[in-house]
Amino acid sequence: MFTTKRRRAFLAAAATAAAAALVLTGCAGGASSADPTDVDPEGEIVPREISWLLSRPADGGVITAMEQIADEYAEEHPGFALNLVTTPDRPSYIQKYETLAAANKLPELFDTDATPFAQKLAGQGRMVDVDLLLDDLGLADEYREAALNYQRFDDGSLYMVPFEFQLEFFWYNKALLADAGVEVPATLDDFPAMCEALRAKGITPIALDGQDQWPLERYMAYYPFRMAGPEYVQQLKNGDASFADPAGKAAAEWLYELGQAGCFQEGFSSTGYADAQALFTSGKAAVYNIGTWELSNLATDALDPAVRDDVDYFTLPTIDGAVTNDNEYVTPSGIGMAVNAQTYDPLVRDFLAFALERYPEVYAATGALSPTTNVETTIPDNATELYTRAVEQANDVGPKIAMPWDTQLDPATNTRLQQELTLLVQGDITPDEFIETMDAALAENVNG
Amino acid sequence: MADTVTTAGVGAAEPRSPRRARPMSTSMLPRRSKLSVLVFLVPPLLLYGVAVLLPILQSLFLSVFRWDGITDMVFVGFDNYVKMLTRDDVFWTAFGNALGYLAICLVLQLGGALIVASLLTALPRARELVKTVYLLPAIISTVAIAILFQRIYSLEPVGLLNQILAWVGLENLQNAWLSDVNTVLAAVSIPEGWRFTGLYMLIIYAALIAVPKELEEAARLDGASWWQVFWRIRFPYIRPVWITTTIMATTFALRGFDIPYLLTNGGPGQASELLTTYMYKTAFVHTDYGYASAISVFIVVECLVAVGIIFLLLRRRDDS
Repeated sequence: MFTTKRRRAFLAAAATAAAAALVLTGCAGGASSADPTDVDPEGEIVPREISWLLSRPADGGVITAMEQIADEYAEEHPGFALNLVTTPDRPSYIQKYETLAAANKLPELFDTDATPFAQKLAGQGRMVDVDLLLDDLGLADEYREAALNYQRFDDGSLYMVPFEFQLEFFWYNKALLADAGVEVPATLDDFPAMCEALRAKGITPIALDGQDQWPLERYMAYYPFRMAGPEYVQQLKNGDASFADPAGKAAAEWLYELGQAGCFQEGFSSTGYADAQALFTSGKAAVYNIGTWELSNLATDALDPAVRDDVDYFTLPTIDGAVTNDNEYVTPSGIGMAVNAQTYDPLVRDFLAFALERYPEVYAATGALSPTTNVETTIPDNATELYTRAVEQANDVGPKIAMPWDTQLDPATNTRLQQELTLLVQGDITPDEFIETMDAALAENVNG
Repeated sequence: MADTVTTAGVGAAEPRSPRRARPMSTSMLPRRSKLSVLVFLVPPLLLYGVAVLLPILQSLFLSVFRWDGITDMVFVGFDNYVKMLTRDDVFWTAFGNALGYLAICLVLQLGGALIVASLLTALPRARELVKTVYLLPAIISTVAIAILFQRIYSLEPVGLLNQILAWVGLENLQNAWLSDVNTVLAAVSIPEGWRFTGLYMLIIYAALIAVPKELEEAARLDGASWWQVFWRIRFPYIRPVWITTTIMATTFALRGFDIPYLLTNGGPGQASELLTTYMYKTAFVHTDYGYASAISVFIVVECLVAVGIIFLLLRRRDDS
């Protein structure tokens, strides 16, 4: 009896250990043997279902256009289907995609920004070289240079296909600014005075979605972009620059001043995207920083008639001694689509050849800006004059892009930056404390 | 409904019943049936092993590596623990916050439940209605509660709480409760405490109405005050139930995650960051699985210590 029990206990322990070993070895994702530069693999096109893991609005232009294109392709290739799995909430999406990458279970197509994580995937040969792919498909020259540059890693390599082109503006309410007797800020340094004048009139100066954190992080990027150019954040993320450098210090001090001048609505850190936008569209807030993806809400008759004629926009103001031009600001081409090298085959290539050729026309017809230059955006019937102006502005964008920092920094430093930014703007910490904390976090995460 | 609760309450509230049950349970398991006991115990134990022990072991294993999920794992020894305990100020902030969160939840859930349950026993009618109303929050989904409280705490546009303050003339107390680093921890703890107060109230109420009325009446006739009746008669009777609810509330609060995560995501700064939300971020946002495992090992230790302390208190009370 006793010996059986002991043997059984031993067996149970052994089984547990074996299971543990299996799970643990299963965890370490294997690298692929596929060649990411072989963009035109030989073989027959065998239609099957392919999947695209994406992070875009479920009823948005990209998904609607791609569904239509996939249907057209399936008519000629029976058995083909494009399975679109979307997670619009970006942080949730990133968790999903990174977990799938760790488990080596990414589908044929997946969305990613040019993040350090994506660069690791590319380095492991798990993503198809998009420079080569677009060349091979004869589409490389059709794309806006800025749209492709936005997707590039720092070494200039390209592994993501852009599907959008956006310009980020400061939308403002002419009537409220006139009420407070202030002009559109000519330089970034004019912001605090503008805020104080608006506050004195009881107007919320700037509506900010603080809950999602990336909108405030944009403000962090502005001053360094004007002062030191796009290279600053690239050096910062490698540890070659620090927050204590003049550009970082100026950004911290500027944000602190914005906070002290009461620029953002009180309690902004818990205001969500829709609430922030409502502050602006209901005429309570004077300024709102958002991209052209909101054109259909801000530049059509969907906008409240009470403010419709008062809404206008300005682009990122400059500073004295700026190293970037006025027509260079945040011009993202959205999250990019990567092509999984391990599942890349003649079918995926053939579908992409068809889809990328067809896409600009279908997409531009929805009133959105195409990442290519070969089509004209259809202005919707209910658009205001601003719509046309914004669309035309896209043709006058300089080569340098103010990259959103959340796609640049390593995630741990990025999280800390987002948290400290809120405290800095709320006045809970001083610029010097902010710099000290951030440089310590950077040192820990870059070298760690 | 009331009857079942009452009977269940009597069994649980009777302080001597476990002592009486103990000798019986051993005699009910004759020696020859040990094999069958084993046969029935092995499947659940295996399940427990795979679902609970294995992940803990895995975390222990992972915690000595640096691993981002896609590149090779790098053995770093105890560096993750050294980082956690010496270099990472966020970790200690989160630990402090977790204790604060625990304290606020316990006060609200147990204290609130005890007060409401005591008042309920004094209520002549509509007890069922009051019970149901108090229990309602426990069945609302967490996401709905988070959105609800986000509106309640809001300052711009003015939410319920700040509106009420304005109505009673306390405009100067208006605050952006979720953005103020001094109030945010309480603000994220209160919804968690509020939603389960009803549940614990129900359990404690069941225990309270099982206290023999004769004892209370006798005490009152002897001139005992309300407090003496409560402290000398009622509380000793409900103590076993009280201990159970304490363990339940403590373990729930220690693994609290959803409401702080949804309401503030740990912010502003790290003012409402709990160990659980920090661990989740480290693993799934920072893809630093090794360090996240080290934090999760700490959470396991923390829970074991908490259970140990409760056991210690329980034993001391039994001795007395």
